[in-house]
Amino acid sequence: MILDMLRIAVWGLSSDRSRIVKVLHDLGVVHLVQMDMKHQNKEPSSLKSLHKMRNLLLGLIEALEWNSWDNLTDEYLEEQRKFIPDFSDGVLKALQESLEEFNERLNKLKNRQIELKTQMEKLRRVLKIAHHFDSFWRSEHDKGNVVGFWWIYETNVSRLLSRLKALEPQGAGSSFETGGLRYHIAKLSESESMIALAGPPEWFSDVEEMMQEENAVRWTPPEEFVVGDFLASVKHMEELYEEIPRELSKIEAELKETRDAWGPKLAAIYIFVEERLEEAIVERSAKTEGYMFCIEGWIPEVELKRTISALKNHFGSRVLLMWRRPKDTEWHEVPTALLNPPMFRSFELFLKLMPPLRYTGIDPTLLIGIFFPFFSGCMVGDVGYGVLIAFAAYFIKKRAKSKLWADVSNIMFFVAFWSVAWGVLFGEYFGDVGKRLFHLEPLWVERSHVVMPVMIFAVSVGLGHVVFGLVLGFIQGLKGKRKHVWLEKLGNLLILLALVGALVTLKGWLPREVFVSWGIVLFIGVVLLIVGGGIGALAESIGAIGNVLSYVRIAAIGLSSAILAAVATKFLDVLGMSIFGLLLALALHLLNFVLAIAGSSLHSARLHYVEFLGKFYEGGGKPYKPFSRRRLKKWKKR
Amino acid sequence: MEKALIALAAALAVGLPALATAYAQAKIGSSGAGTIAEKPETGRIIIILEAIPETMVILGFVVAIMLILQFA
Repeated sequence: MILDMLRIAVWGLSSDRSRIVKVLHDLGVVHLVQMDMKHQNKEPSSLKSLHKMRNLLLGLIEALEWNSWDNLTDEYLEEQRKFIPDFSDGVLKALQESLEEFNERLNKLKNRQIELKTQMEKLRRVLKIAHHFDSFWRSEHDKGNVVGFWWIYETNVSRLLSRLKALEPQGAGSSFETGGLRYHIAKLSESESMIALAGPPEWFSDVEEMMQEENAVRWTPPEEFVVGDFLASVKHMEELYEEIPRELSKIEAELKETRDAWGPKLAAIYIFVEERLEEAIVERSAKTEGYMFCIEGWIPEVELKRTISALKNHFGSRVLLMWRRPKDTEWHEVPTALLNPPMFRSFELFLKLMPPLRYTGIDPTLLIGIFFPFFSGCMVGDVGYGVLIAFAAYFIKKRAKSKLWADVSNIMFFVAFWSVAWGVLFGEYFGDVGKRLFHLEPLWVERSHVVMPVMIFAVSVGLGHVVFGLVLGFIQGLKGKRKHVWLEKLGNLLILLALVGALVTLKGWLPREVFVSWGIVLFIGVVLLIVGGGIGALAESIGAIGNVLSYVRIAAIGLSSAILAAVATKFLDVLGMSIFGLLLALALHLLNFVLAIAGSSLHSARLHYVEFLGKFYEGGGKPYKPFSRRRLKKWKKR
Repeated sequence: MEKALIALAAALAVGLPALATAYAQAKIGSSGAGTIAEKPETGRIIIILEAIPETMVILGFVVAIMLILQFA
């Protein structure tokens, strides 16, 4: 149901401006009219400070990696609000200073954490190299040889080795092969290797030169890890490598403690700042005339009394509230507020995919709430699957943290109910299990054996649904005094009526004499249609017939689901009561169950979006967004 | 033989529209995904466009059922 709206104007003294805005904010029912920007004054410094504060808080919350917005309760927020009753310049300044100090300490901690992680990674890489060569280094060092390390491209290794072999210093008394110049190679990646060369110190000038020619780069452990010789450095690095994780876990624990203690507090302040910013923006953009100011907006008529008493209680005669109904010329400006019975509110979810409903339109929520689960349940049509859907809905409801999932679970309960109801009518309990085990018979028909009646029923339901949509469109056209709309809808209705009448007459259910009258009805329908919507509307009329036939999918999908369920049980006939047979049957039932949920909801949704809503739904409206605290709980949606 | 031909006809009545539907939905789906990425408000019209070709296969199914029930 669309609520009746009233246009209101709140006049007050400029000195009361902040307090009046605060009361309206607490009241949370006024949909503010787009403010005229020419009234806006230059952004005051307090507003700039609030913006700065909000950004600082957001940065801190992100730096703390705190994201438990869902756990913030109203009670906690109100408790925290006592510590910051307002955002005066003094409070803002003190808050800013302490937050900056907090930020500095947090940054210090985070920087140290990053530094340690970087060091850890560096150590890991260096130690990996060092461990390759420490025994080589030790044995060569004991012999009094000098050891050097080089990065080298893998492609150059073989050439380098042959050049090294050729390098035989005069009078050294030893050769490459006999241990004069020794090497050890470690492959670091596909393209890179590390070579360690050991030999007498006097050879190294020639080796250095050769290495340069081969594009090899001398490697030494990073300076910060070097203490004494290579082995001492390796030992030092190993000690560091063991120590760093301990320090890291200490920092992590400190960060967690800070996050748990300060995350909710910072989030609460962030919310208060956002609320104050909203109020400040409204205050700033309110129309000002002399010592008076004015705020204009829309409220649901049902909220008028509450608004009057709230303003009267706080400001007595110092405030003037004027209200009126919308004029004919401003329908397009009026926001659309919906109010549906609580159990059907979840179905408003379907309207989220549509353009916002127009104020003068018809709210289809209740109708979707009735027909969507009815169609969906008819497609599933199995008691067992219905019970499973109810269990799944219960599970989702228990776990749901967002409104979206709560709505989905609620819709699933409706679908489960109708699935069970249709299951009883079709006599299906996990396919034919009920029939086999308990000899349960259908109350109406067994749809896997009797196809035509179910298909005729589906098309008849479709006819009723489409006709209902057209009737709503017709009423809407009449109410809005839009001749072309109601003529077109009436034309379509008459054409459908004539076609159905002709079919019924041909079947012999009506006397043959009335056949001519259906022709007349058809002619009138076509004339009305062309007058209302032009020649092009004829195409829409053909579309309406297609729409009716489209409902046959209810029977088609239901039939496929019933046959799949029966096939699943057939596995037990073929394979006997074996584990393999049971597993196969269960797997097929599971597949069928998933298909039943997905297919039935998608097709039922499609029947609504395409076939039904297309007949009367009018978008292009403005959703009702009251100026309120925790509006739409947007910080929870981050 | 006659029954086999009826079965073939029924299979073709479903199969050919199914292929056509799949082809159309693939084209609409890929274009639609791109459109929604740029303009999320077009979601509804894309769902409608995506759903339109399905009618072919549903009607094909009806024809197949009628063929089987009438002649088999």
